[in-house]
Amino acid sequence: MKSLPITALGLGLAATLALTACSSTGASAGGAFRPSNTTMTVPFSAGGGSDISGRTVAAGLEAATGVNVTTENREGGAGAVGYSYFLGQAGTDSHLLATETSLLTLPIAQDVEFDHTSFTPIAKFGDDYTLLVVRADSPYRTCADVVDAAGTDRVVAAVSGAVSLDEVVFSMVEKDQDVEFDRVPFESGGEVLAGLLAGQVDIASLNPSEAIGQIESGDFRALCAFAEERYEYEELADIPTAAEQGIDVAFAQFRGIIAPGGISDEAADYWIDVAGTFAESDEYTTYIEDNYLQPNVSYGDEFAEYLETASSDLETVFDK
Amino acid sequence: MLDNLVLGFQTALTVENLLWCFLGVLLGTVIGLLPGLGSTTGVAVLLPLTFTLEPVTALIMLAGIYYGAQYGGTITSVLLSTPGEAASVVTTLDGYQMAKQGRAGAALAIAAIGSFIAAIISLALLMALAPPLATLALRFGPVENLAMMILGLVIVVSFQGGAFVRGALMAIVGLLLSTVGVATGSGEARFTFGSVDLLSGIPFVEVMIGLFALGEVFHQLRTGAEKPIRARFRDMMISRKEIAQSMPAIFRGSGIGFLLGMLPGAGSTLASFMSYGIERRVSRNRAGFGSGAIEGVASPESANNAAANANFVPTLALGIPGGATTAVLLGAFTIYGLQPGPLLFEQQPELVWGLLASFFIGNVLLLVLNLPLAPVFAQMLRLPYGYLYPLIILTSCVGAYSVSNNMFSVWVVLVFGVIGFVMKELNLPMAPLVLGLVLGPLFEKALVQTSAVGNGDLGIVFTHPIAVGILAFALALVTVPRLVGAVRGHVARSRADRRAGTREKSSIDT
Repeated sequence: MKSLPITALGLGLAATLALTACSSTGASAGGAFRPSNTTMTVPFSAGGGSDISGRTVAAGLEAATGVNVTTENREGGAGAVGYSYFLGQAGTDSHLLATETSLLTLPIAQDVEFDHTSFTPIAKFGDDYTLLVVRADSPYRTCADVVDAAGTDRVVAAVSGAVSLDEVVFSMVEKDQDVEFDRVPFESGGEVLAGLLAGQVDIASLNPSEAIGQIESGDFRALCAFAEERYEYEELADIPTAAEQGIDVAFAQFRGIIAPGGISDEAADYWIDVAGTFAESDEYTTYIEDNYLQPNVSYGDEFAEYLETASSDLETVFDK
Repeated sequence: MLDNLVLGFQTALTVENLLWCFLGVLLGTVIGLLPGLGSTTGVAVLLPLTFTLEPVTALIMLAGIYYGAQYGGTITSVLLSTPGEAASVVTTLDGYQMAKQGRAGAALAIAAIGSFIAAIISLALLMALAPPLATLALRFGPVENLAMMILGLVIVVSFQGGAFVRGALMAIVGLLLSTVGVATGSGEARFTFGSVDLLSGIPFVEVMIGLFALGEVFHQLRTGAEKPIRARFRDMMISRKEIAQSMPAIFRGSGIGFLLGMLPGAGSTLASFMSYGIERRVSRNRAGFGSGAIEGVASPESANNAAANANFVPTLALGIPGGATTAVLLGAFTIYGLQPGPLLFEQQPELVWGLLASFFIGNVLLLVLNLPLAPVFAQMLRLPYGYLYPLIILTSCVGAYSVSNNMFSVWVVLVFGVIGFVMKELNLPMAPLVLGLVLGPLFEKALVQTSAVGNGDLGIVFTHPIAVGILAFALALVTVPRLVGAVRGHVARSRADRRAGTREKSSIDT
């Protein structure tokens, strides 16, 4: 975690150097591309996780670039409307989109014209893993208990959509452990929260930021985290990973930004550079900590590789 | 409790907080006025402006926008038959009729008074009982919600009075339209014909603007030559008698609004429709409904305001949003570094009570702002229609575009404007269509969830006493008036027979 700003700086420097090396025409480094006033498209409605992330990044980039970065919400179709609109912006180099895992799930689930290769990946700012939570009066103490119970009884899981993060995680557990959960579909994390509180479902897989209020008040118990490593946040540090309990499942929703396809390398490098500046700022740290994210940063090609791997993982999950 | 109230008012009554509260309710009124630009968008757009403020100040202002918009939404519903929000759709039914009779001022005034009383009642309940009420609201799971949606549809269909069949038909059309888009549960796209815009369904705000605003404009263009309304200023004022007459409707509306508002999901639209429907059944003046009854404005306006406040029950007590706008506000909590959840009341008493106290102050401000302005706004109808119509068409299109920055919305408005015109020509009611469209996805979700909870067996409904009670009430609503009607008809006929037979004047004639 501590090495992150340095990695970011290194990458930023590398990008700048690469730019200098390539620009034989004599344009000075970083001066080859200057953005005009920029739009940050958020493909979800205002107030949600994507919106908060988009607005925070927009404010950070505004400070780093000195141009206006305006956030606009283009919601609809679980993100499909926003991404499709963004597809039409190909070649516009002063336009960004606050992206997350729906960039990968939408092309799998719906008949849309884009996939992750249609756009220019700029930066991934963090990962949001999920916790398996139950009500405090639940008999389950570990995720292994839940899996055992699902082997013999009916265990009802809440899911917030057909290709949502919790659906992905539960499907992965089912494949890994060869069990089956019954599902009750909800439409948002808030609804899942209410359903679990009221005892309409037995288990839910929620982001820490969604469940922390109920965990701290003692209404919920977190059994395990579907993450590679335990959280370092004090209030989450005691939660074991699923792997510690013999379930080899870890999957996170990523948060980051992309630019339209078909923009120049100079423009892409410029955005990667300023994204690096944002990732070193205090605003970034506050954003990550307030939302209990893991600050796993990657840029450009490395981000593209992540998208490729995650996309094929998802295809395996949904190819039932 | 008293300590908390004192703390709350101490927080809310600082000069800075008062000022932001005033700004919030003022902006809210303006936002509510503009078709399409509802409180959800308004709060979201203005959210970044509050980043530099103290969290409590910021939330006071944002909440002010939210309930201010409830007042503003009424104004265009009454004057132009253009609801600013879905929750004001029902207000157009009698409010616009009142305006046509030159009583727009009275309609706006009773809406403001009703909203104010509803706000005070619901705030008192919110302050005294939020945590236990929130726990109670949680008992409303998918099964109970399903029953509630059925009750809502039954009420709306039946409030068309004699035109029961036409009302039912339009509600069904609304429900059918709501099946367009990605389905709850399966996640499959239905009836989208490859259009990305249709993935999220036919948007009801745009449909509402089209049907009501443009439909009315087209209709009037056809009938033509309607004179601007020239009412005397005295007629614009509300009389004491009208206020007294509306009181029962206001109290009933507040109660219904509060009950529905605190359930996560059901929301203020259903509340306004339901209270109007029930008022139409029980009001002394029920015969006048639909042709400009003041109770028909008082009741839904009280209900939607009470529901807006009751939305804060699950929001503040559990950290679960009660509706779309409170969801945005919860997002704001996180931005300010606050952790919404069951511990909020304990950990942030100053914030919670300051916010609640500011609701009182904000509503007083809104009443002071809206009462004297009601006759002034009503003067707008003096504008010749030659100026008014282009203005309505323009604001409708701009408003629709602003909902999601998308030309698709504008097309929806125009298409439904034409449909609204045709419906008016055929004398088909539009309110049931809008409610069908709004409730459709909620109804389907409740149905899918109920089926999932019951493992495929819908008989699970009968194991939930609350749901059974609600369904029994819905059944009674449909059958009892018919039975009573049949019995009355039978009695009347036999009486007539007797009269015909004896040719004597009946002494028990009522």
